[in-house]
Amino acid sequence: MIKASNISHFYGAEQVLYNLSFEIKEGGFVFLSGESGSGKSTLLSILSTLLKPSSGELLIDEVSIDKIKNIDSFRQNRIGFVFQFHYLINYLSVYENIALAALEEKKQNINKILEELGILEFSSRYPNEISGGQRQRVAVARALVNEPKIIFADEPTGSLDSKNSTIVYELLREAVKNGTTVVVASHDMQIESYATQIIRLKDGQIL
Amino acid sequence: MIALKALSKNPFKSLLIFSSITIAVMAIFLISSVSQGVIGMYSKMIKTDGDIIITQKGISDTFFSNVDISLLEKIDKLEHVTSSYAMIVGASPIGHIPIAGIYGTTANHFSHYKLSSGKYPKEGEVILGANLAKQFATVGVNIGNKRFRISGVYSSDIGFEEGGVVMNIEDAGVLFNRSASFILVSSDSPNKIDNIVKKISGMDSAIEVKTTKNFVKEYNQFKIIENSSFVISTLAFAMGLMGIASVMSMIVNSRKEEFGIMRALGKSRFFIIKNLFFETLIMSLSAYLFALVLSLGILAMLPHIEMLQGYVNGTLSLSTALYVLASTLFMALLGSLIPAWIASKTDPILLINQGCA
Ligand SMILES: Nc1ncnc2c1ncn2[C@@H]1O[C@H](COP(=O)(O)OP(=O)(O)O)[C@@H](O)[C@H]1O
Ligand SMILES: [Mg+2]
Repeated sequence: MIKASNISHFYGAEQVLYNLSFEIKEGGFVFLSGESGSGKSTLLSILSTLLKPSSGELLIDEVSIDKIKNIDSFRQNRIGFVFQFHYLINYLSVYENIALAALEEKKQNINKILEELGILEFSSRYPNEISGGQRQRVAVARALVNEPKIIFADEPTGSLDSKNSTIVYELLREAVKNGTTVVVASHDMQIESYATQIIRLKDGQIL
Repeated sequence: MIALKALSKNPFKSLLIFSSITIAVMAIFLISSVSQGVIGMYSKMIKTDGDIIITQKGISDTFFSNVDISLLEKIDKLEHVTSSYAMIVGASPIGHIPIAGIYGTTANHFSHYKLSSGKYPKEGEVILGANLAKQFATVGVNIGNKRFRISGVYSSDIGFEEGGVVMNIEDAGVLFNRSASFILVSSDSPNKIDNIVKKISGMDSAIEVKTTKNFVKEYNQFKIIENSSFVISTLAFAMGLMGIASVMSMIVNSRKEEFGIMRALGKSRFFIIKNLFFETLIMSLSAYLFALVLSLGILAMLPHIEMLQGYVNGTLSLSTALYVLASTLFMALLGSLIPAWIASKTDPILLINQGCA
């Protein structure tokens, strides 16, 4: 489903990824592991189209991402994101944050998803009126709402306690069961037990 | 609508933009209105009272002008001349007031000053403007080294005239040692005016004869007020506009993270720019209207502020208001849309991380 060939990335003159080539199969729970600074976030951003690699080619469903005409609708239709910090929009309510991301035909699912994630009662609250764990669940709901083929998560539990971390991982595993491919970058080895594929990074190279 | 939500959930930022636009717009309104108002008031005084003005040749200001009053007789005999009067305009301490305007005029011009009590002045008498009258409870006032009896009180449409005194031109002539400062002539046929100007010019080589229209246009004092107020208000406005643009771009920059998230969620550049456009439009339009209302309020109050003695008056012209509106909107949009456009071209993840740093 994702094929990366010879991906390299520089920030200015500093090279942080070195000629990475690998494949990610559909329906997997992929764990991108490595120490802090090893290049996980950079690689995840490239895989998820949020960052252009300095060189190399990325195919998603056999289409080179350079050739995608409407990257906006590609992102909205195919990809869901969960970041370390929830990155909700502060002036929109929980419901509106999800509705902002939702495709028109998926808006009817919002309440169902909020219910499944146990945050329906907060739907009219603003991000600063709920807890960190609840915010991250909203972010997961936002990633799920369009039933994307792939979800990318960068340290999704980095700012959560272990109870909330487990909730988030269970939610992602649920998505995998429903056929979504999930790619998680984390230095938290706890998730190895969920993974169907592990890509280990060290200093920008695959071990 | 998302633009309204963004504005109302970030009241501090909104207030910051709102007040910076309001202040910039008010500054230009007040500066330009007051100068337009002062000039308008003087021009009105001269234009409404005559079609032709006669002053001493080569004199920069009517204060220094001396014209032979006996010209009046000859002028009145000219065809198409309906009336003419002479005036001496001066300033002098009056009683305990350090300086006030003195209007000496021929008796046929007294009716310009509407009596609110008493009678028009005879020789050795004065009438006081309504503002000045509040300062004197006495029957007489000292002007120069002479004492005048107060025969009445007048009011006037022209604010600053109410801060002065009116007397007979002969009395003023003794005080200021001249015959007349200027003569104003009215005619019943506008197309004969140039002809009359020529005839009067021929009567005396020491005088300068102009239509009041041209006089107002060429009058140095007006040009100075106009030019300096233009410079000051242009500078104030330019500073205000740059302030607006930089506040807008500061605020847009502080929202890069939000734009990055929206891009990651699949929102188009167009979506982001469109919302920001409406936010900026709502904000700058409402600030503009607020500034307009405040300025009009202040301008309406100016003539009633005692301290200003009616000297400061302001009128806001439609063209100034429209010009300011257009440039305010332009700068606000420029300041917000350019950084937003640049941001929308950046890789979303870099925007998100920048916002976090
Ligand atoms: N926006 C950036 N600009 C410059 N250097 C960066 C930027 N983001 C990350 N880096 C550098 O790239 C390297 C890899 O970072 P990152 O991909 O965030 O690793 P990880 O997610 O594994 O901690 C680090 O050395 C980091 O300092
Ligand atoms: Mg990272």
